[in-house]
Amino acid sequence: MNLLHERTRAVKIISIIAALALPTIPLIANYGVQYFGGYPPLAQNPTIAVGLPTLITGTALNIFHPAITYVFGSAQKLMIVVLGFIALFAIYISLYEVKKASGVYAYLMLMGTASIIAMLLSDDIFNLYVFFEIAALAQVGIVLVSKVDYNYETALKYMILGSIASPLLLIGIALLLGVTGNVNITDIVYSIQHGLVNPQSPVLLMACSLIIFGWLYGTGLPPFHTIKSAMYSKALPTGAALLQAFSVFSFVAIGIIILRIFSYLPFAHIFIIGISLVAMTLGITMAITQTDFKRLIAYLAVGELGYIGIGLGLGTALGITAGLFQAINEAIITAFLFIGFGTIMYKTKETDMRKLGGMLVETPKSALLVLLAGLAMAGVPPFNAFQSKLMLVQASLNSGLPEIAIIMVLLSIVTFMTFMRAFHTIYLRPRPADLKIKNEKIPNITLVAMVAFLVVCLVLGLFPQIATNFLQGMAMSIA
Amino acid sequence: MIMDTQLASLLTAGALMVIGIFGTLFLDNLIKKVISLAFIGDGANLFLIAMGYKVGGIVYIFLPGMSMSNFSQNASYPLPFALVLTSIVIGASTMAVMLGIIILLNKKYGSLSASKILGE
Repeated sequence: MNLLHERTRAVKIISIIAALALPTIPLIANYGVQYFGGYPPLAQNPTIAVGLPTLITGTALNIFHPAITYVFGSAQKLMIVVLGFIALFAIYISLYEVKKASGVYAYLMLMGTASIIAMLLSDDIFNLYVFFEIAALAQVGIVLVSKVDYNYETALKYMILGSIASPLLLIGIALLLGVTGNVNITDIVYSIQHGLVNPQSPVLLMACSLIIFGWLYGTGLPPFHTIKSAMYSKALPTGAALLQAFSVFSFVAIGIIILRIFSYLPFAHIFIIGISLVAMTLGITMAITQTDFKRLIAYLAVGELGYIGIGLGLGTALGITAGLFQAINEAIITAFLFIGFGTIMYKTKETDMRKLGGMLVETPKSALLVLLAGLAMAGVPPFNAFQSKLMLVQASLNSGLPEIAIIMVLLSIVTFMTFMRAFHTIYLRPRPADLKIKNEKIPNITLVAMVAFLVVCLVLGLFPQIATNFLQGMAMSIA
Repeated sequence: MIMDTQLASLLTAGALMVIGIFGTLFLDNLIKKVISLAFIGDGANLFLIAMGYKVGGIVYIFLPGMSMSNFSQNASYPLPFALVLTSIVIGASTMAVMLGIIILLNKKYGSLSASKILGE
């Protein structure tokens, strides 16, 4: 029973309060470890350990985590604040761009955001799987309520693929559980590093492969890039802005776990770099051929994920810091672009670039902001992606892989060209005679959101240490 | 010869997954596809349960009068059973959403054919 049905004002108030809490709570929360449904390890909890046999207290069981453990550190703080910031504006715009606000849509966006936050915090791989599934359901829901043509078909395809990929991820987790007896990631790493299990066990290699497969599906890396970009294009611009942020942060959450557990396997690094190169190349080159602007940004978003993967795959402290920084930048810039191009959809109800043109006259302010967002995505200074891409180039040069640096620079140029072509088609060329434009002003909140994204891009571009200081601790612990 | 329970469970899980993947890939009816997907999920759940099996193990409930060392050595592993419950719930929710979408698509197309609806 939906008690808030037709109660637009109540929906708006509740949604805005919840959305405001998303970036605010992590800002004021203290760092720490939270044990859900249990207690700290016995070694930290001597009162419970009294009377237990040495079979437990004298072994690694004494330091293992019996509870579901959540870790809130500085890197998590920054990522959650950024995700909350994107969610805040996505929800706010979605409530004010339409006459009748949809509580269901706002709820799905909040649920998806909450599950991705849990993925970032969780130190328990099964818990991560649970939230991975909830996030997938929320993403499907966001697409289902969009009323875009063929959204049901795309959502069903995504779910069918997900229903194959998720059990495989679950089997990967089950294999890890079977070998190490644990689902806590810190304990799994301890078991592998201290020889409690054979690190070269083929079962562990199989688990690694299956978890990587789930990672590819969840984040839209090849071979799932087509369906993921279709999902973005079938969502509303606000939904797409949030969906890509979900992909970016689930990419980071699972990628970090893969690195923590399997970094001793050389092929894990090689595979991450290889698949990231494929994602970059495929995503950005496929963007060139698109005629639908939402699809174009979607493919660019997939391509940009590759940059994050390169940073993680290099495995050095600088590389991982650069990868995490790029993740934050990409989430903000792509949300900025989706919302910016969303103004075109708002005015024309059209996403096919062949039918668009001359929009600069209609929406000059948002055109300027979209242009700046595009420059930011391509890595033009003084924006934030310039700093993270520069760090990625430095990290790959330091790791003795100049080829990767060259590919990254070349693909940034292609990104720039692709974006400028889209910008020219939509804004600069003469307006087609049959293009109908709605005589309604773009809501102020949309412009405010775009300016806020621009300010963040500029601040992080001019003072990158604001972000990197938060990320270095995590990068050093993984490298 | 009586097969080991764990091995039998793992083989059954493997068979369920293979049948499920076959059905998902080669059956055209969307409802049959969903049933096949349920097979894959059930296979994964059975696999997870089989991980908690212990030969000669006892139920993991510490009863009065039970020796602590006997319990800690012989109790089977409870974690997979707890995990699989969550996994079943997730599977059921996913399936409900999929079936809901299929009902809407069936109204739109008047068919359940995946090749017609999804263009496969």
